[in-house]
Amino acid sequence: MSNNNLLGRRNFIKGMGAAAGVAMAAPAMAISEKADGVKWDKEVEVLIIGSGFAGLAAAIEATRKGAKDVHIFEKMSYFGGNSAINGGLFAAPGTPMQKQEGVKDSVDRMVNDQLKSGRGIADEALLRHVAEHAVEALQMTLDAGSEYHPYLQQLGGHSVARTYQTTVSCGAGITQPLLNECRKLGVHTHNRAKFEGFLVGKQGEIVGVKMRENYHFGEDQPGKVSNIRAKRGVIMATGGFAQNVDLRMAQDPTLTSEVGCTNAPGATGEGMYEMFRLGAIPVHLAHIQSGPWASPDEGGFGYVSNYSIYNFPHSMAVNRLTGKRFMNEIADRKTRADAELACRDEKGEALPPILITSYKDSKKHPNTKKVIKYNVGWKFDTVEELAKHFDVPLKPLKAQIAEYNEYVKSGEDKQFGKNMTKAKDKFIQAPFTVVRLWPKVHYCQGGVQINTDAAVKDSFTGQSIPGLYAAGEVCGGIHGVSRLGSCSIPECMVMGMTAARSVMKA
Amino acid sequence: MIKLKAVLALTLGCLLSLSVQAVEIRDHHKEVIGKDCKTCHDNGIKQFPSDQACLQCHDVDDLAEQTARSEEDKWQNPHNNLHYGKELPCQECHGEHTPKQPLCSNCHTFKFDKFKE
Repeated sequence: MSNNNLLGRRNFIKGMGAAAGVAMAAPAMAISEKADGVKWDKEVEVLIIGSGFAGLAAAIEATRKGAKDVHIFEKMSYFGGNSAINGGLFAAPGTPMQKQEGVKDSVDRMVNDQLKSGRGIADEALLRHVAEHAVEALQMTLDAGSEYHPYLQQLGGHSVARTYQTTVSCGAGITQPLLNECRKLGVHTHNRAKFEGFLVGKQGEIVGVKMRENYHFGEDQPGKVSNIRAKRGVIMATGGFAQNVDLRMAQDPTLTSEVGCTNAPGATGEGMYEMFRLGAIPVHLAHIQSGPWASPDEGGFGYVSNYSIYNFPHSMAVNRLTGKRFMNEIADRKTRADAELACRDEKGEALPPILITSYKDSKKHPNTKKVIKYNVGWKFDTVEELAKHFDVPLKPLKAQIAEYNEYVKSGEDKQFGKNMTKAKDKFIQAPFTVVRLWPKVHYCQGGVQINTDAAVKDSFTGQSIPGLYAAGEVCGGIHGVSRLGSCSIPECMVMGMTAARSVMKA
Repeated sequence: MIKLKAVLALTLGCLLSLSVQAVEIRDHHKEVIGKDCKTCHDNGIKQFPSDQACLQCHDVDDLAEQTARSEEDKWQNPHNNLHYGKELPCQECHGEHTPKQPLCSNCHTFKFDKFKE
């Protein structure tokens, strides 16, 4: 299901009315109501909406803190949300692997790297809270059975190597073990369950939710709506809205349906907007991040994204019109995405730049085999072949390679100031592997405002809304203008755990 | 897909004929199910079949075995895949009234020979 189909669904409804003359009851608009006098269909102890990293971590932590009746509701037919289809990259300071590799790191250092990329508007208290508990969250994944590559990676904007990646190079290497762990612990998981609004008590506290059962995403099928009481509280872990073209264009009109998106189809933001209706504070909604490692040759996150993330530190990104580099390959995401979007032909049409890597270095990542096999990346034995295939001017390209290799040797990039630590001894030489790059909408920095207890603040009272907690991408303001890669998973996990602790204390 | 949905909308009034078409997509369904819509539509005729409907006859472990791939590509097995294991509901990729594309094709260029492009 793509965005286009969401639009198509509206046409379908219109078509039905006209063609069959069937009177279609308009689906009841999701909206919160007073709980007074509501007939409860069901009662649970802890109610979690969304089954990505944040929801799963919250469920496990709530159970560890003594909850006996924890329920996760997921609107899609499958569990894991967007967390099941990303790179599985996990940044944490002071990890066992950093000790092993002799990397000096600290909470302060990780926070400072993120503040820089946040360009002055990130939330330092939340970043610090996440960095302080990141190792704990990493341990939760290890305890559940997640496995990681035996090496660290240094992602764009990070001043040291601090990123773990699952052996399957995907977030599913975390969501699948966490989901299994949830079930082992007796957490109840419900798919095809669509959140339809809050049920609000006399003091404005959240006492439950309306939930549509047997929901089929993108289809018109009336499922029964039940009123579910949450004894301890509701944790909203509903993710971002990158797949909702109307909403993302309302924030940033350049993000039309023609711009690719790495997200799962369910990332449409209704949970977030329902919290706004309730009074939650919207923060930084217009800061929607595009991933500079994505490829125009496949859909979504695909295989190339991880290939590029791994290879950027020891690769050269080249503008095909000039044959020259055009960016620091490990700058933060926004810097790189903007630089890539500026790569145009003489007519101003998009000309996706290429990432050139020595095969001897790229082949260390399992995705290299995949990108070649599935025809979304290519291998060349000579620079002449490469230049011809991508129509790059040969002479400037050769000169650029020679120049870049000088930087590898000296450890100083005079062109773009790239940190060359991870490029040490990795000269650009044949045979090469090459992928094309073009940014895709990846992450919403904006969302509801929370505090370090994962409580959601009310815009009218300035106080936390009782009984309501939020964790993960649905929250806003934590990262500021541009989130650093591999900082979402620790945030989702830590804030999910935090929300669970708050719920159990309340 | 949108066009096919329009066709579905047009024919929604005559469910019986639709169902006959549905079982005719696969010969083995025609033989076993015949004209009994409720065999699949276990939640009522106007509702999608439940995610358990197909499992009355199909066993996910058997299917996973049938569609297993080499060790290198083992997680591309649609019936036991990297992202969702063996839990992906059949209806995400298989449609009886309207042909569907595999869910994988949202992001990957995998080839599944039995799917019509």
